Amino acid sequence: MDRRATLSTLLGRSHVAKAQPIVESFQPPVLGLTPYSGAFGFEQAAHLLRRATFGAKYAEIKAAAAKGLNATLDDLFKDIKLPDPPLNYDYATDPSVPVGSTWINAPYVRDTSTGALLHQNYRNTSLRSWTYENILNEGISIREQLTLFWHNHFGVGDNQDPKFWYQHITLLRTYAWGNFKELIKKINVDPLMLRFLNGNQNTVNAPNENYGREVLELFTIGKGPLAGPGDYTNYTEQDIREVARALTGWRDQGYNTVDANTKVGSFFRISSHDTKTKKLSHRFDNREITNGFDKEHETVVDIIFSKSEVARFICRKLYRWFVYYEISADVEQNVIRPMADILIQNNYEIKPALRALLQSEHFFDALNIGPMIKNPLDFSINFIKQIGWSALNAADLANRHRAFNTLFREVGNQQMVYFDPPDVAGWKAYYQEPAFYRIWVNSTTLQARMRLTDRMATNNYTVGVRTGLNVLEFANSLPTPTDPYLLIEDMVSVLLPQSLTEQQMTDLMNAFLSGTPDYEWSTIWTNYTKNPGNNTARSSAETKLRNLVKAILSLPEYFLS
Amino acid sequence: MKRRNFIKTAGAAATIPMVLNGMNLSAAPMSALFSGIDPYSDKVLVIIRLSGGYDGLNVVLALDQYSNLSKLRANILIPEAKALKISTETGLHPAMTGFHQLFQDGKLSVVHSVGYPNQNRSHFRSTDIWQSGSSASEYVNTGWVGRYFEEDHPRYPEGYPNGGFPDPFAITLGSTVSETCQGTVGNFSLTLTDPFNFGKLTQGKETLFPGTPYGQELSFLRTSISQTNQYADVITAASKKGKTLATYPTSNLATQLKNVALLMSGGLKTRVYVANLGGFDTHANQVDSSDTTRGTQRELLFQLSEAIKAFQDDIRQLGLEERVMGMTFSEFGRQIKSNFSLGTDHGTAAPLFVFGSCVNKQILGKNPEIPATIPDQTGVPMQIDFRDVYGSLLQDWFGVSETEIKDYLFSNYTHLPIVKNCAIATDTEDFTFEETSVKVYPNPFHEVSRITFRLNASAWTRVSVFDNIGSELQVLISQQMGAGDHQVEFAGRDLPAGIYFCRIQVGREVQTMRLVKI
Repeated sequence: MDRRATLSTLLGRSHVAKAQPIVESFQPPVLGLTPYSGAFGFEQAAHLLRRATFGAKYAEIKAAAAKGLNATLDDLFKDIKLPDPPLNYDYATDPSVPVGSTWINAPYVRDTSTGALLHQNYRNTSLRSWTYENILNEGISIREQLTLFWHNHFGVGDNQDPKFWYQHITLLRTYAWGNFKELIKKINVDPLMLRFLNGNQNTVNAPNENYGREVLELFTIGKGPLAGPGDYTNYTEQDIREVARALTGWRDQGYNTVDANTKVGSFFRISSHDTKTKKLSHRFDNREITNGFDKEHETVVDIIFSKSEVARFICRKLYRWFVYYEISADVEQNVIRPMADILIQNNYEIKPALRALLQSEHFFDALNIGPMIKNPLDFSINFIKQIGWSALNAADLANRHRAFNTLFREVGNQQMVYFDPPDVAGWKAYYQEPAFYRIWVNSTTLQARMRLTDRMATNNYTVGVRTGLNVLEFANSLPTPTDPYLLIEDMVSVLLPQSLTEQQMTDLMNAFLSGTPDYEWSTIWTNYTKNPGNNTARSSAETKLRNLVKAILSLPEYFLS
Repeated sequence: MKRRNFIKTAGAAATIPMVLNGMNLSAAPMSALFSGIDPYSDKVLVIIRLSGGYDGLNVVLALDQYSNLSKLRANILIPEAKALKISTETGLHPAMTGFHQLFQDGKLSVVHSVGYPNQNRSHFRSTDIWQSGSSASEYVNTGWVGRYFEEDHPRYPEGYPNGGFPDPFAITLGSTVSETCQGTVGNFSLTLTDPFNFGKLTQGKETLFPGTPYGQELSFLRTSISQTNQYADVITAASKKGKTLATYPTSNLATQLKNVALLMSGGLKTRVYVANLGGFDTHANQVDSSDTTRGTQRELLFQLSEAIKAFQDDIRQLGLEERVMGMTFSEFGRQIKSNFSLGTDHGTAAPLFVFGSCVNKQILGKNPEIPATIPDQTGVPMQIDFRDVYGSLLQDWFGVSETEIKDYLFSNYTHLPIVKNCAIATDTEDFTFEETSVKVYPNPFHEVSRITFRLNASAWTRVSVFDNIGSELQVLISQQMGAGDHQVEFAGRDLPAGIYFCRIQVGREVQTMRLVKI
């Protein structure tokens, strides 16, 4: 064992640690950001929608393939209105919010004897189930993926006032593919962020560097290699201090308020603001920031964004979210750099640069189809969206939201909790070398993942009543459900990123038909379609389909995107 | 495999008379000489993470500092009379009767003011530092235990488990693997919530993987699934065969430790267990307003103390006592001054505990010196570097050589006498340091203060100055020093007026002196 090489890996000095290849890897030249010119068939459409959404049905993939790449990207980036706000779905005791109304501007109440804040828990629950509702109803849009991308990027966690959360997440959703620079200006003074990174305690007499540090290290330009004492190549400790000073004076308001007239927001207090001139380091060309009162924080952003490293930094993060974790020197040169150029040419509008990535030869390179281990949310939502889940058809709004909340807990068991990333750097899978996406996988999360798909497939998932996947509708949505082999092939093309080997297809046939001849399935299916109301005919088809879906979802291939 | 450790360990283990389930364990290491089974596999380390950063000043009570403590944290201070004394000037929180008993039985060691220079007060960063075993300025992707295992198993997880190593190297009780056990490629710990319900996963058949990223990830997933299934077999077998003899309280931590005892008694050869007890981030309501011996912290310390006491009783009755050593850690201690919400905010160093029948019954280090007035945000100055604790456990408990430990910890470490006779033999240093010889003059100082001390033998010496939030401002000496009188100057003319701490470490002896700049 090469001790020195190992140590440098242990110390994180090697740029990217390679996974152990099974057979000799071949390294063809990286396809760059040039627009994809190959065929845009079902497989390519499925790949694009698997990455850009939380899952698309067979018919949606088929329609995208027919439309073509450009038109599908138009759909993905089409402006759509913000979702209606979350409601009080089933909590009868909030005096200011009747069931069926929204709570986003409603005050809390304090218990007169204990002083405890009342009516917050149901709002948190509502916020969660509303978020899952938005994801499940996203349609062909990249907005929900980008909302989660930004949530991961800013890493706000902790249990906070859900009204603050609503404002924060709405900001992220609004700017999903909007202007990155403008988004940072909004985040600077976002009330939730002011609380999360102590911006609300950052005053002229007691400067708090928490946000100043993270805005440089994690949100905009990123930390480069240590170039000298306190010098991280892209910025220095001095810059952290001076940026923090420039951001002094902001406070949040309305936190946990019981006053109906106090709105969630932030405000600037001149007396808390440091009015002296701030001097940045040579990393920012020794620029000086003179007092700009409540506009000064925007000047800070303009200065940071004058450095092109900001563009490369965010492009790498977008790449790790949408393509793959490994960024080789080749990828840096041929994908990240040209993408960053587009971002700068468009004054930090995300859409043109991200669209170029999703439209590139590189994105559709066969090597990039399938190697991403899905995060728990992708894993859990993909198959539910693609197959359908009976609990989501519940007529009653409260029951539907109960189902969303059970899903929220399932995804939490798999170690991804929306509104609670483990720390300000986001989920480890998107930055922690050397394992990256593999961090999602361990003996406990594997079992949590497989328990979910098993119970969903076999109709043993309890939300008040036993529920499960709509396997009959799923089969019916495919072109040739009477032919067992083609049925499996089509299911696989929707659910898995690459086709299976003949041996695996045979195994699935066995799981499906348990050795009975093919024509028997045709008879069973035809019998069901002719008598959909007949319970025997129905359950005989359904049982077989459940076994099949369970077998497909338990393949490790389903873990991949 | 290191030949020297191999022999040392095998020899030491052979002297331990112990019977488990009818099998004389002392035979196991000897047979390992011939079977290729890890010969030092009978020693187990249980790491208990107290997450949130716990208020050590309310855990190990510095009774000789109470006049000042009562000024700085009156609203949360535990009454002196309630302290469970472990020495004339030191006591434990009154909820920790279990720990008090363990101390009296010689099975508990208290290590004062453990931390690291330039304390990071962020939960995640500080946890990373503790788990990776790096310094505050280094970002390391692997854990200190992971690097230890990786030395002998560089290709893990590929090819594991196997005939020689059928059991998981480490187990994290809970649902996220511990970064402590992270190796370069794989994590050496298996996560386990319920050993009786460790389900088998659908595995499918092996297929040929193309040499593409897709193939590599697929292969990783298949390895993980297959490893989980194989480990499921050994864990199910061990949990069926194992037993527990003590009565455990009903608590999350007790359940975790009970599972450790169960799996050990069932013959599982896992070396490291990581348990977790959370909730120590007590910014508010750490204590009840009416009674400081009640409240959040009390409940947590009671759970900790009772769970470990029950575990220790269990492994004694199971005859496993001399195979297990445990340690606690928390990512940081809290500030000396309490806040106005009956709580405390993120601070610096904190005491930790090492337990087991092979620990030296002792209090390592001294009560922290609490000044009458301190700036806000002052934490407890560090006395003992956490890597000294790790290094000493690796050396004495797992029999790792000093050279390798330095590799694992990326630094020198000072050997601490934590482990006693049932350990693998180690050298003990001669007493080299006359603590009474330490003088700091002038103090208070204006520009320069001189620190003098005497060594009666050559020793590795580190003299450094910290500010009140635990940042190591200057390292004045860090080298082997000869016998005799030494003097070093601390030039603090550029520093703001205030309180500083001079820390002098000679071998394993530490002295912290307060310095006042005027």
